[in-house]
Amino acid sequence: MKKIVQTFSLLFLLGTTGVLVSSFQAHNGTGFRFPYQQAGLTDREAASHLLSRFSFGATPGQLEDVVKIGAEKWFQDQLTGSLPDDKVEAMLASFESLKMTNEEIVQTYPKAGQVLRMAIKDGIVDRDSARIDKKDSKDAIRNYMQEKGMKPQAELLRQLVNQKILRAAFSENQLKEVMTDFWFNHFNVAVGKGGVQQFVTSYERDVIRPNSLGKFETLLLATAKSPAMLTYLDNNKSTVNEENMMQGQKKPMKRRKNDMPDSMMNGNAKIKKPKMQGLNENYAREIMELHTLGVDGGYTQADVTEAARVLTGWSLNPEIEYSLRIRNKVNEQRLNRLGFVYDDNFLFAANKHDKGEKKVLGQSFAAGGGYEEGVKLIHLLATHSSTAKFIAKKLAVRFVSDNPSQSLVDKMAKTFLEKDGDIKEVLITMVSAAEFWSKKVLREKTKSPFELAISTVRTTGAKVQAPFQLYQWINKMGQKVYNYQAPTGFPDKGQYWINSGSLLNRMNFGLALASGRVPGVKMDLLALNANHEPESAAAALKVYSRILLPERDVEETIKRLTPMLNDPEMMDKIDQAAGKTATPSSKMDDEDDMMMDDEKPKGKGGKGPQKINIKKGGADVRLLAGNNTMLAQVVGIIIGSPEFQRR
Amino acid sequence: MNSRRVFLRNGALALFAMGLGGVPTFISRAADSRKLRSLYKKNKILICIFQRGAMDGLMAVTPFEDQYLRKARPTLFMSAAKSANKPLIDLDGRFGLHPSMSAFENLFKEKRLAIVHGVGSPNTTRSHFDAQDYMESGTPFSKGTPSGWLNRAVGLLGHEVPTPFQAVSLTTSLPRSFYGDNAALAISNLSDFTVQLRGNPMGANTAAKSFEELYDQTSSDLLNKTGKESFEAMKILKTADVKNYKPVAGAVYPMSPLGNSLKQIAQLVKMDVGLEIAFAECGGWDTHYNQGTEIGTFSRNVSDLSNAIAAFWTDMAQYQDDVEIMTMTEFGRTVHQNGSNGTDHGRGSCMFIVGNDINGGIVHGKVPELSIENLEDRRDLPVTTDFRAVFNEVATAHLKIKDSGKLFPEWKGSSIGLVKKTG
Repeated sequence: MKKIVQTFSLLFLLGTTGVLVSSFQAHNGTGFRFPYQQAGLTDREAASHLLSRFSFGATPGQLEDVVKIGAEKWFQDQLTGSLPDDKVEAMLASFESLKMTNEEIVQTYPKAGQVLRMAIKDGIVDRDSARIDKKDSKDAIRNYMQEKGMKPQAELLRQLVNQKILRAAFSENQLKEVMTDFWFNHFNVAVGKGGVQQFVTSYERDVIRPNSLGKFETLLLATAKSPAMLTYLDNNKSTVNEENMMQGQKKPMKRRKNDMPDSMMNGNAKIKKPKMQGLNENYAREIMELHTLGVDGGYTQADVTEAARVLTGWSLNPEIEYSLRIRNKVNEQRLNRLGFVYDDNFLFAANKHDKGEKKVLGQSFAAGGGYEEGVKLIHLLATHSSTAKFIAKKLAVRFVSDNPSQSLVDKMAKTFLEKDGDIKEVLITMVSAAEFWSKKVLREKTKSPFELAISTVRTTGAKVQAPFQLYQWINKMGQKVYNYQAPTGFPDKGQYWINSGSLLNRMNFGLALASGRVPGVKMDLLALNANHEPESAAAALKVYSRILLPERDVEETIKRLTPMLNDPEMMDKIDQAAGKTATPSSKMDDEDDMMMDDEKPKGKGGKGPQKINIKKGGADVRLLAGNNTMLAQVVGIIIGSPEFQRR
Repeated sequence: MNSRRVFLRNGALALFAMGLGGVPTFISRAADSRKLRSLYKKNKILICIFQRGAMDGLMAVTPFEDQYLRKARPTLFMSAAKSANKPLIDLDGRFGLHPSMSAFENLFKEKRLAIVHGVGSPNTTRSHFDAQDYMESGTPFSKGTPSGWLNRAVGLLGHEVPTPFQAVSLTTSLPRSFYGDNAALAISNLSDFTVQLRGNPMGANTAAKSFEELYDQTSSDLLNKTGKESFEAMKILKTADVKNYKPVAGAVYPMSPLGNSLKQIAQLVKMDVGLEIAFAECGGWDTHYNQGTEIGTFSRNVSDLSNAIAAFWTDMAQYQDDVEIMTMTEFGRTVHQNGSNGTDHGRGSCMFIVGNDINGGIVHGKVPELSIENLEDRRDLPVTTDFRAVFNEVATAHLKIKDSGKLFPEWKGSSIGLVKKTG
């Protein structure tokens, strides 16, 4: 090793170019190298930047680990995304909905209307009394749900949210979680829209996460066929317009009150006339504007309409809702012959499809293309040069800065086209570019509320027993996770997240969390400093600024705050106030209790406030970890500080 | 209640200096610049109230002479006949106001209240989610519009005001109407607008000072600027003592979320903190079951709505020339009642607009005779006025917004004569 270093320095001294130096550093057979040294960054700075972009925050010691194994190797492992994750899987084990199929979720977590229909059908309540919001019928319905093993939808959302928080905070495969978050937001759906909630668990688990580092086209196609997207952007309701109907297609029929598919109504599997509501362009517009080409991607309103026609019949397999097989062997053959395509929860309903000829973006789609013409459309969009630019820009905005340089975006777009939309390759191009490491972009991103909350947990090594409590703060700070109403997803820019109200909430979040007032989230502040007690509040500030903000310039912070913290009078007052009101750290909310048996606090730094004595100017200043004390306050201030809002 | 003007007059600069740390910079900036004038100048203020869940406009404002409606609603139809237990309030011989909205009766007579009936969206969706989304984005055929119409309105006001309170929503998170590039604030409770450390006010005070120091020195412009605004806003609210607010005598706000929201909007108006657009919302309008008539769910809802608005209007006293209130709801409900004494999702509903510069005392819009062939899809009150016609006229006239093409980019319509023509 020593020899290598010598040779290395010698080459350097001899004025060898940086290229040689860094090619020497193409690490551990990764096949790529990061030009951070040319940008003037140290290994530690590079590791810090890398973690700020591709993880939800560095855990204690993680920065050193990355330096040790090398930035390239760490990134390679993250791209592969298959590090063992037993810890997080164990935390999630008790959330039963996470393993359920869409069908099982629909049955177990029915919509209120579904429950009522079933209860009426089973004679539990009669139609009239059920609709009067009487306590009796409410109780009857609650009992009925219990007997049938059904659970409220709120529980479904709770498990989904908890799993997102726990994965983000504790998964070893951080990049996979970051990318899952990115693509979910790109292909946004909102649980607030009726009927969407039940499908979001599978949407994230089966559609987004497994494809988050794969091929863009595969991901796009999977979203197009997903029940969540089909419901959220209404393609499920889009049918051939009457005037475009081909000979032999049935006339549209009036909308039925009941939502049961017609084939079910008749108790047999004959293919009957579908509900024909006509063309709905929502999905066709957004797949172009938001998912692929971008608003300036060079398509017209005519393209939107034509694409909508191509996608007519792309719908939900009604077997999800009714958990019954509509098909049998006999009619399955007939369905196939007619061009119906069943693929798990997806159904290409040939009888709703516009069979005419279409033209999208100059490409002709011959009449009678059936399901395959939709696949062809998706291929056309996924491989379009506008899509390459649009996706490259969006990735650069997420991972580099709110205004990434055009040269970087161009490089990434080029890779996107050359490598067939391979997301990994696009990311490698990005991180291998000088622009990624430019000092101008360090700390240039503003954390979203979710990123702030999770990075706090990770940086402080906090234990999370009630993740939903964090969700409530994230919500309060302005990010209703899984429920951004518009298909645009949350805007990925600092200006969106930061306003005078949300900023105060961020400060209050820091104070609340550090002082143990977020139930079910526990920090062991002393453990962070190897159980060394800071000499004074001013010392605590110095030590914890460096622990919580590694590789950042914290001198100014320390300079500004130290006089305030050194004011003995103020210290005493705070300490007195804290002493008077000191309460054991907040009670856990039973409902949100998510016990992790092997993670239960034990021993020192565990249960209850911890009392230590610190000498400060002759006076004893008590520091109670996890309470209203100066140490908690110092940490709260650091979490709420502007520097901690940046990544 | 102290206003900023009062502060400046009474040497509030000194008062601030004793507070949490220095004079709010926008006041000191203003005090030594020409901006002073614009700060003194009263801005017009638009208050929007979203009734989520789709209000039954036909029950709020009933065409009581319509025999088709009477037949379609055997148990929900109310009469204006004096002999009735609680008759509808006859507005003009054709329309009757729900008896629980008696707080609106005088406002209508004084021509401060205008009603637009048969209002709705050209998009026929009957999904709450989609219809609210379209109404709030103001683009009924484009899902992907990133901005909300009120956020665009903020951008079109044509002046930058150094205040965090220009657009405020009294909700926990930003409503769709406020999505967009212009700064807008969501806050459900003004007294929460402070640095908090429960049970340790001294600690909170130090924390606040520390944060102020740190945000003052940060190299991030965004965090620096917004941090300043946060602390300025905090100081204003602290000095204004929002917890002990006393409305004008006779202004009695209902003890409800909406009453509470409007009361806080009134406080902001009186503080002269530069408020121009405010947003509040109320729920419970999705009356599929047991809607009730003189009493019941619907009655409670309209009582709350009308009492909250009337209290706000009274409370506004000398500010009445500046404020205008407009209600909105995503769609109306079926003309026929359903099998459970309620109504299902329909199309047209009605809106209430209160202000001094509107043509009040009139039920605007068109409501045809409700025979089945006159109904939209043979079931609903037809939409005869595009909601954008109302939003656009109210917002442009009251807020003096010039470029209406940008406010509702897909819409080309004309105003319906809701606002008085005088400048």
